[in-house]
Amino acid sequence: MKEALRALVELRARLLWRRFTTRGGIAEGVASVVLLAIAVPVGVGFAVAVGFGTYQSVRAGGGLRSDVGAAAIFFGLWQTWTAVSLTVNDREGLDLHRFLLYPIAPGRVYGMGLATGIVGDPMGFVWGAMLLGVFVGAAMARPGAWLGLLAVTLAAFAVATVVLVALIQEVLGLVLSTRRLREWATVLSVVLSLGFLALVLKSTDRPYRALGDILPSLRVLQWIAWPAAFPAAAARDLFAGRSGASLPWIGGLLLSTAATAWISFRIALRQARGAGTSGGNASGGGPVRSGRGLPGGRMGALVEKEVRYLWRQPLARVDALLGPAIAAVVAWKLEPSIPLEAGEAMRALPLFGVALYTHLLLQAFWLNAFGWERGGARVMFLAPLDLAAVLRAKGLVLYLFSLLLFLVSASVLAVVGKGSAPPWAFAAALLLHAGTAPWLLTAGNLVSILRPRASSFAIQRSSALSTFSGLMGMAIISGVMGFFALPAVLAIRNESTAQLLAGWGLLGAAGGWTWWKAVPKEARLLAERRDDFLPTICGDDA
Amino acid sequence: MTEPLAVETRGLTRLFDGKPAVSSIDLRVPAGAFYGFLGPNGAGKSTTMKMLTGLLRPTCGEARVLGADLSRDGLSVKARIGVVPDGLALFERLSGSEMLRIQGQLYGLDRLVSARRAAELLDAMELASEGGKLVQDYSHGMKKKLALACALIHGPELLFLDEPFEGIDAVAVTGIRRMLQDLVTRRSLTIFLTSHVLEVVERLVTHVGIIHRGQLVAQGTLDEVRASGSLEETFIRMVGEERAPGPGLSWLGTRGEAR
Repeated sequence: MKEALRALVELRARLLWRRFTTRGGIAEGVASVVLLAIAVPVGVGFAVAVGFGTYQSVRAGGGLRSDVGAAAIFFGLWQTWTAVSLTVNDREGLDLHRFLLYPIAPGRVYGMGLATGIVGDPMGFVWGAMLLGVFVGAAMARPGAWLGLLAVTLAAFAVATVVLVALIQEVLGLVLSTRRLREWATVLSVVLSLGFLALVLKSTDRPYRALGDILPSLRVLQWIAWPAAFPAAAARDLFAGRSGASLPWIGGLLLSTAATAWISFRIALRQARGAGTSGGNASGGGPVRSGRGLPGGRMGALVEKEVRYLWRQPLARVDALLGPAIAAVVAWKLEPSIPLEAGEAMRALPLFGVALYTHLLLQAFWLNAFGWERGGARVMFLAPLDLAAVLRAKGLVLYLFSLLLFLVSASVLAVVGKGSAPPWAFAAALLLHAGTAPWLLTAGNLVSILRPRASSFAIQRSSALSTFSGLMGMAIISGVMGFFALPAVLAIRNESTAQLLAGWGLLGAAGGWTWWKAVPKEARLLAERRDDFLPTICGDDA
Repeated sequence: MTEPLAVETRGLTRLFDGKPAVSSIDLRVPAGAFYGFLGPNGAGKSTTMKMLTGLLRPTCGEARVLGADLSRDGLSVKARIGVVPDGLALFERLSGSEMLRIQGQLYGLDRLVSARRAAELLDAMELASEGGKLVQDYSHGMKKKLALACALIHGPELLFLDEPFEGIDAVAVTGIRRMLQDLVTRRSLTIFLTSHVLEVVERLVTHVGIIHRGQLVAQGTLDEVRASGSLEETFIRMVGEERAPGPGLSWLGTRGEAR
């Protein structure tokens, strides 16, 4: 068994090494170094800040200042870690399904997959540095044996966070694989989106305030975030010098971590053993449906294929849930902290953030547009198709999905945030979302063609983007944000919302024109690169 | 009078990292022929087929398919050929019936016509009851049959099939073989097929080309190529002698040193 595990470790190491030594490996290597170069100062900076906060809390030794400090450290770290892991992180794990063949306990493979996922993740450095910062801050404030318990708490917190993220991914993957649930979720999203948006735009007495008012009273919700709640409670006692009182909390943390890990593993194992079966018909048995009501012709077929692929894409389903959820968290936690006197522009910021975040959430789809095609990618080259039509269909469907997600998220933000954003901000956010899309899609097409990656349909067991593509995504989003910041700066200086709307509208129109003109050139590039592109996407050289 | 050619290549070459996978081959596939393209593993069969169907660019040389230059009239050629490539060309997250109907539309068929043909092809391939299932849930043999249906839906004049019998059971092989024979004899299709199953190929094809280490070593009608022997004997003679398994596998059949 030891040999088998050693072989697993070697396999991971070799796969990692091969990523840097095969085709395009230099770019991957450079991207990893750049990401690490970003992660190290960020991690050190946050570690110093968290360490200082911990130092202050421990020195306070109890009371509100210490309690708030302990809660802020663990809830803040947990929220960020979880949000990044669930949304924008590029992490690779071991595919449990592949390893069922070998005489290795599946639990070990699963555990190793989680562990190697953290080690191979550049963001892992940031989280590790912050946890170290907490420990060092505490040690400097009050050295002693109690630090042993704090170390156990911090280690258990890290494991608990990773395990809960894994559980969320597995549960979402499992639940959303049911066709009926997906359909209801979509219908509900659309109804909520249109209903709430109408309410926000038309309502003067803001009746939805009532719903928002209920939320703060639901304090019990903090235990949903138990990986943070247990250690925060333990830390309160530890910081106050009550080591004995912290033991039940630490015990609770360890037990709940073990239980979550076990449940997560069982679900993963069940899915791995059932891999290859989608659990039912896609469109029911019986006669072939003509697809009446859908657009006809080649373009119609391409659009239909893209819609069906996105509809059956677990990652897209998770994103469809995460977008509104993150918007709700922002509205709940962030919006109340923006004072009324800060002005309309400041109160509109969360809405603008949601507009950009929606694109960020879906970056795997515009940065690796062909990643899930596998053998189907050959159809694009075998059929008498203009590849520009393929790119346009992909862009169109992804934009519409992104728009739907933005509308739902914006509605959630409006409802939970008690409609604090001014009405013009919705029009501006819609322009920002629509205006940035063609720029992102144009640049994303290039990355998709030059750095394709065959991705798995599983949520957790694969990495949708190469490190290089992830880095390019950061650069593209930053560039586009900078571009769209210019009209915003002018509008703020002149206190003119009309200027903002006009500026973003113009940039968006220019983006649309650029996208339309660039797509045929990108299609030619795709045709020229097919010798490298097809084996990569079809998984022939995997 | 020269016979019309469905496929004609001149000096068709493909290099990978400077090494030839296919080296200057001159193929001549007569229209209406059932052409078997044979060769051992790694000989260059799939590479040749990829170049003839637009999946791979030749390093040099010319390829004319159905009288048109593939590099210039790619789209018009693609509309007239059907392909079952190595590794298949299927969108696994579509159902079988969706895959077929969308495939037809991508080849320019009207949606309703495509849906009707898809139903008929599913029936012909004995997949009608599985039409609603996602392709990813199909067995390997079912995928092969679906891929063949996809290649036929637009009524091609020339069919390229890369190892169509690989991984499918004897009953399915018989069914597909009959269908292919019918396509050539009654519907005047040209079929270009690669296969390792020489027995089946010998019963099917009218013409043969043999490729070895990237070079075309024989080409002609079946009778011309096999002369007085069987196709298998001719093939072995041209591409290498039979080899017995080497010594040194004494540990097979024992538990060995695995712990």
